[in-house]
Amino acid sequence: MTKDILPELLSSWEETYKKGQLTLWIFLALKDGQKYVDEIKDFIESKSKNTINCEEQSLYRNLRKYEHIDVVTFESKKGNKGPDRKYYYLTKMGNELLEKFIERNIKLFFSTEINNLLKK
Amino acid sequence: MKSLITPNLIKFTLVTIILTILFRVGLSTSITNGMMIAVILSAIIYAISMWINGSYFGRKEYENLPIYDIGFRFHLSTFIAHNVISLLWFVFGFESKYENINVIYITALIWTVFLIIHFVYYLSVRKSSIKNLDKEDLFE
Repeated sequence: MTKDILPELLSSWEETYKKGQLTLWIFLALKDGQKYVDEIKDFIESKSKNTINCEEQSLYRNLRKYEHIDVVTFESKKGNKGPDRKYYYLTKMGNELLEKFIERNIKLFFSTEINNLLKK
Repeated sequence: MKSLITPNLIKFTLVTIILTILFRVGLSTSITNGMMIAVILSAIIYAISMWINGSYFGRKEYENLPIYDIGFRFHLSTFIAHNVISLLWFVFGFESKYENINVIYITALIWTVFLIIHFVYYLSVRKSSIKNLDKEDLFE
């Protein structure tokens, strides 16, 4: 009976856990190098092993916000065919923001103590 | 300032201008002909159309870039468009002979009170924004 609800509990926890992660994945994609929206989407889906799904519309909406607050910018380059593509990249402030975020929130998972706990 | 006057706000204002002109035409014609039902209907249709107008462009605005505070900016543009058109209606003599310009002034005065209240709210929410974007809605 208790084990029956395990998958449900896991997916409920994961749903909460994933909220707020999209920004980190977008920033990581851009830290990897300039990308246009399709490439950002592919990067996130492949590197997160499909645990993070993002709609193109959602990516555009987020990128517009980041552009507005000057953490992301873009340059237009020729695509294979059709109109120019916007290649997004992190600004100096965007890089600093990501660096500080990682320092405060991600790196603690790499401490020996937490690492040992995770391996247990 | 430039970022506050967005394409969606401009489109919303243009539709508001058209709707207000249609409303004034309906209102003055109905009053001239003494059609009470048509007066009420004009007001109801105008209110519903404005609500649809605000919801449509408001949603588009939010999806594009949720600049704070969408509600106040749309409210202010409605206030300006509605009252300027109403005044011009009288300036150009399009009103019914039974209409009184004082009604426009009183409406604008009462509306100003609500606009000020909304402005105070707008100032308070601006405190929780970064570059006019809601802090809580910034990162997803």
